[in-house]
Amino acid sequence: MTILTGKAETVGRRRPEGGGLLRKIWDHRADYGYVLPAIAVMLIVIAYPIYYTIELSFFATPPGLQLRDKVFVGLNNYTAILTSPVFWTVTKNTLIWTVASTFLSFVLGFACALALHRDFLGRGILRAILIIPWVISAVAASYIWKWIYHSDFGIIGAVLVALGWTDRPPNFIDSVSTVLPSLIVVNIWREFPFAMIMMMAGLQTVPDQLLRAAKVDGANAWQRFWHVTFPHLRNVSTVTILLLAVANFNSFIIPWIMTGGGPSNASHIWITHIYELAFGRQRWGVASAYSVLLFVILMSLGYFYVRALSGNEQKDGAE
Amino acid sequence: MTSHSLGSAVLCGAVSTALSVSLISTSALAAPVDLSKWSPEYVRSIAGTQDFDTAADCAKVTPLDYKGRLTFWYQGVFEGDPDMLREYYKDFFATFRKTYPNIKLEDQALTYNDLLDKFRTALLGNAAPMAIRLQILGGTEFAAKGYLRPLKPEDLGYSTSDFWPGAMKAVTWEGVTYGVPTNNETMAFIWNADIFKRAGLDPEKAPATWDDVVKYSKQIHDKLGIAGYGLVARKNAGNTPYRFMPQLWAYGGGVFDEASANPTYKKILLNSPQSKAALQASYDMYVRDKSVPVSALTNQQADNQPLFLAGQVAMMVSHPSDYTVMLDLQKKTTGADTAKAQTVIDNMRYGLIPAGPDGKRAVVFGGSNIHILKPEYVEGGKVDEPAAKALGCMWASPEWSLKLAYAGSNPGNLNGFKTKWMKERLSSIKFLDVTTSMLPYGIPFPALPQSPEIMNIIVPDMLQNALTGAMTIDQAAEDAAKKVKNLTEGGL
Repeated sequence: MTILTGKAETVGRRRPEGGGLLRKIWDHRADYGYVLPAIAVMLIVIAYPIYYTIELSFFATPPGLQLRDKVFVGLNNYTAILTSPVFWTVTKNTLIWTVASTFLSFVLGFACALALHRDFLGRGILRAILIIPWVISAVAASYIWKWIYHSDFGIIGAVLVALGWTDRPPNFIDSVSTVLPSLIVVNIWREFPFAMIMMMAGLQTVPDQLLRAAKVDGANAWQRFWHVTFPHLRNVSTVTILLLAVANFNSFIIPWIMTGGGPSNASHIWITHIYELAFGRQRWGVASAYSVLLFVILMSLGYFYVRALSGNEQKDGAE
Repeated sequence: MTSHSLGSAVLCGAVSTALSVSLISTSALAAPVDLSKWSPEYVRSIAGTQDFDTAADCAKVTPLDYKGRLTFWYQGVFEGDPDMLREYYKDFFATFRKTYPNIKLEDQALTYNDLLDKFRTALLGNAAPMAIRLQILGGTEFAAKGYLRPLKPEDLGYSTSDFWPGAMKAVTWEGVTYGVPTNNETMAFIWNADIFKRAGLDPEKAPATWDDVVKYSKQIHDKLGIAGYGLVARKNAGNTPYRFMPQLWAYGGGVFDEASANPTYKKILLNSPQSKAALQASYDMYVRDKSVPVSALTNQQADNQPLFLAGQVAMMVSHPSDYTVMLDLQKKTTGADTAKAQTVIDNMRYGLIPAGPDGKRAVVFGGSNIHILKPEYVEGGKVDEPAAKALGCMWASPEWSLKLAYAGSNPGNLNGFKTKWMKERLSSIKFLDVTTSMLPYGIPFPALPQSPEIMNIIVPDMLQNALTGAMTIDQAAEDAAKKVKNLTEGGL
């Protein structure tokens, strides 16, 4: 059996002169060959849709016309979005949703990870229980929470009324002021186990001897956490926060199933709004323009994510 | 040329006469359904008066030994439908496969709220099914876009006069017919007589007007602490326009002039004083009196059904099938809940949908239609037309258009009212009379490609904006009217 590598194949064949880029590519041509099918698939399923979405964002698609009969409107879709009051409502909702969900999921997940890092009886069971929200279907969870929150016959409302704390069940998801915080609670409930798992993995990497040395030197628990544990978790924290932020920017299931973006757009976030524009209202052009803007934001987050990962690799290499 | 004997000539004559009579078919020979006489008594008088041979009728459209393949999507049974309907759907597809054993049928059921989205997406990728059964609201949109091939009742072996004129209007775009109605329905007003009695109202009398609904709802809530009227105001759900539009029309309002005899759909009426009065009635119930479920903004009718069965909602607008749904839901109850549910079922009453201040009564003329796609939008680029017509003929037949609408709707083919199954239905489905009585009050949604967006998004948005206090009544109505104007003028 022969194992081929780029360099092995160069024997007896003509290779480009000089030491430039072409030569490097030639030397690694077999490696490129291995990744070529994956690149081809990515071009078809990622690059083309991105190109088409950008193209579509310059066209209007009235409901009485087929998409192929779209009308070129230049930057009108972008202008329409930026001058629409709904855009600012939805953007505000998206920012609140993303920042609150990301931050609180991370804090709660981190706190749970720290608690579970200690050795105590039942730790394994507790860890398994805490992971449940993350592994169950988001669709099922949304329907369950919809009934928990039900403004007339929800469990929370029934308990509060039974305890005599309120005359009427609280209005969680049928009010413009409480709907978004209520959905954020559900999202945190679903996401914090992810942060917990990530941080638990990170905690395994903190050198025990450093913590012991700090203790010998008289550092209290907070000082050991702040000066030893936390610096070691900086990279995993960055990655976790970025992954959570990207996931939250792209959230769809919970708000769509529980409220459909209502009432009065109070729980519409970008993705649900884009979905409604495209599939409910067939404004493919405007929806595409929204998607392009969202793509730019997510790519920026992606850049920081890759940078955080590269930073880790460089650091690991240096060590 | 060969010579014939007298005997063979007589025989040939007899055979050809018999053949001609069978080709004309029983439905053509019998008196057509007279819509001018429409009343519960008339419906009873024609039920069970005619037999139909569906297979024989459809064989004239597509031979029973035809070999082909058909992809078909349809708005199927969903969580709010009774179990009986599930059985009829199963029977239909089994019968079709038995009747046309050589047609390979690939059918897919989708819920009301998902069907439009999925169909639109499939069309963009030229991956639509060959035939589709769409809700009445969707036909014009796809016809206007040129996705559907012309299809009229005559193509399936029926006559246009076999169907409701309002239903035919909903499948017609610029004078061309693009579909055949399978079922048509109008809803009715349902109330719990026991709750009415306990609240000091006449238990056997439905509210006569929408203003009465507001008053009754408040009285029930104030006296018993439960919801009076089962308001539905969720966005992107067909349930909302089906319940709000009758109210809007009764007050004399509308999106356009769709409630008039000859609508032009030119003038926008959503911001008219009459439309605002209808919106005010909903506002009074939800905000001022708090006499309807708070969850109305996120609920669909399927969420109201258990509340009604639990005796927590006193009135609602719904199908005749809700009685059967209540019986199905009761089977799932245990202990004391079963007896409680039985009390509600025993006290269930149906009446005509309330009228407006001027006595105007209206209801949405709902239903579904069968359409055949143009080949270029279908997966594989081919439409097996005979196979699609075979299925269309069977579904729109007097027999199956009735059976598949047995509990939840009414036959789209008017001859369905003459079948023995209609007679059986009249005795087995309580309150059917009331919903068939509402049919002449039915108003179809505007036959415009923009209708799905208007009904599923703009109208519910208007309701939500007013009910949440995000806008005043005036602002919500003006905002909705502006959106409709923008939409019809081709704005972004």
